[in-house]
Amino acid sequence: MLGAITVRNVSKTFSTEGTVALEALREVSVEILPGQFVAFVGPSGCGKSTLLKLIGGLLDPSSGHISVGASQVTGPSRGIGVMFQTPVLFPWRTVLENVLLPIEVFGLERRAATEKARDILRLVGLEGREGAYPRELSGGMQQRAALSRVLVIDPSIILMDEPFGALDEFTRERMNLELLRIWQERGQTIVFVTHSISEAVFLADRVVVMDTAPGRVLAVVDVPLPRPRSIDLMKSPEFAGKAFEVREYLGVAR
Amino acid sequence: MSRGAVLSPLSLVMVIVLWEMACRAELVSPLVLPAPSRVWDGLVILFTAPWFPQHVWLTTLETLLGFLIGGVAAIALGIVMVNVRIFKEIIYPYVVAFQVMPKVVLAPIFITWFGFGIESKIVMAIAISFFPVVINTVVGLESVEENASLLMRSLVASRSQVFWKLAWPTALPSIFAGLKTSLTLALIGALVAEFVTAKDGLGTLITTFSFELKVYLVFAVIIVVSALGLVMYGLMEYLERKIVFWRRSRFTG
Repeated sequence: MLGAITVRNVSKTFSTEGTVALEALREVSVEILPGQFVAFVGPSGCGKSTLLKLIGGLLDPSSGHISVGASQVTGPSRGIGVMFQTPVLFPWRTVLENVLLPIEVFGLERRAATEKARDILRLVGLEGREGAYPRELSGGMQQRAALSRVLVIDPSIILMDEPFGALDEFTRERMNLELLRIWQERGQTIVFVTHSISEAVFLADRVVVMDTAPGRVLAVVDVPLPRPRSIDLMKSPEFAGKAFEVREYLGVAR
Repeated sequence: MSRGAVLSPLSLVMVIVLWEMACRAELVSPLVLPAPSRVWDGLVILFTAPWFPQHVWLTTLETLLGFLIGGVAAIALGIVMVNVRIFKEIIYPYVVAFQVMPKVVLAPIFITWFGFGIESKIVMAIAISFFPVVINTVVGLESVEENASLLMRSLVASRSQVFWKLAWPTALPSIFAGLKTSLTLALIGALVAEFVTAKDGLGTLITTFSFELKVYLVFAVIIVVSALGLVMYGLMEYLERKIVFWRRSRFTG
């Protein structure tokens, strides 16, 4: 089900009893091509996480349309993997069992999947930790396990909601590099939410710049920097220029 | 070894020694406070008496049956309440109201309804141990993290998968905390019901020996009851550590 993600004129308003309705998104339109790495960047409250959940079918838009390929998004889909800011590993399951959770939920054959899960854990650098419990892992390792749980179902689309936001700078950079490596190997569509401008520019083909009150798209910045990318890229004037361009859009909005 | 680990038992020994000395000096009447050595005699009498084990067994049985029936029913009610919103809205206020009511007042009524036998004791144990488990089940099931629910939703998990793979294990530590409280309460329930009226059981022994002014035997039974409570609690702790093993980190760092 590899297909483009189309977000057309989507608005989302949260209204709970007794509170003023919150306009999280107004008239947002975005097009994401198959295999693209797209980052949503913006300050807290710009609705970037909401937009991600809408694409994942975890929320319903108040108005507008979202489609993946030819089909309209009406609810969550098993072809889409989701990663959160917290690893959301179940403490009663080992790393391997956590990675196999989607397989169990899908009712797939466990034995074949176990081999695959082990391969993926090797890929993300968790070899030898399959039997460990989440509390025995560092924050970075926990997110690697969470990433493995996404990869095990071979999603054509991965939605990532500030997945490395809670990690320290060093771990975060390493995770970014590994994510790029895995993405280049497998070619999924990745939608990546972050509030770090440099992270967005470093990772993505396109950066969607968003602003708050109400959440909306300010600009879409193409980042045609060469791949594969390494940390050295951050020294280049091209990188600095792109990062500055994004920053300017956000500055203009003030 | 920590200071407490040495000083705590030492203080107990000192209290017992002082207590024994006070009794030997006849500062207190043995009818009010029997000497520790006399209580020990009482324990020896109890444990050599052929009629004693059946009393221990009966109170244990009443407690465990009340605890098991009450516990299972309470967990079931908690699960239903969390899954059927309207049911919870109707019934939860009454659960809370019953929770604050001192349920020992029901003991005489239960004797009237269910007779002098084991049934009224079990019902009393159920009544007193039921509500902590209901409330802890509800609280536990509702403590599921939002992102964890979202994860299960993103996997298009069925309702029963969400329950068994996420909600139930999430609730287990809280349910166990409730069960530990309620096992102790079940023992209280059984004993109180025995105080009111019964032919057998440790509670009956306490009232009987009190009437006969055999205070040293009352003390001996109290020690047995306490030991019984400790053993049951220890058993629950053991089960908890085995079943909710992932919570260990909270205590050992």
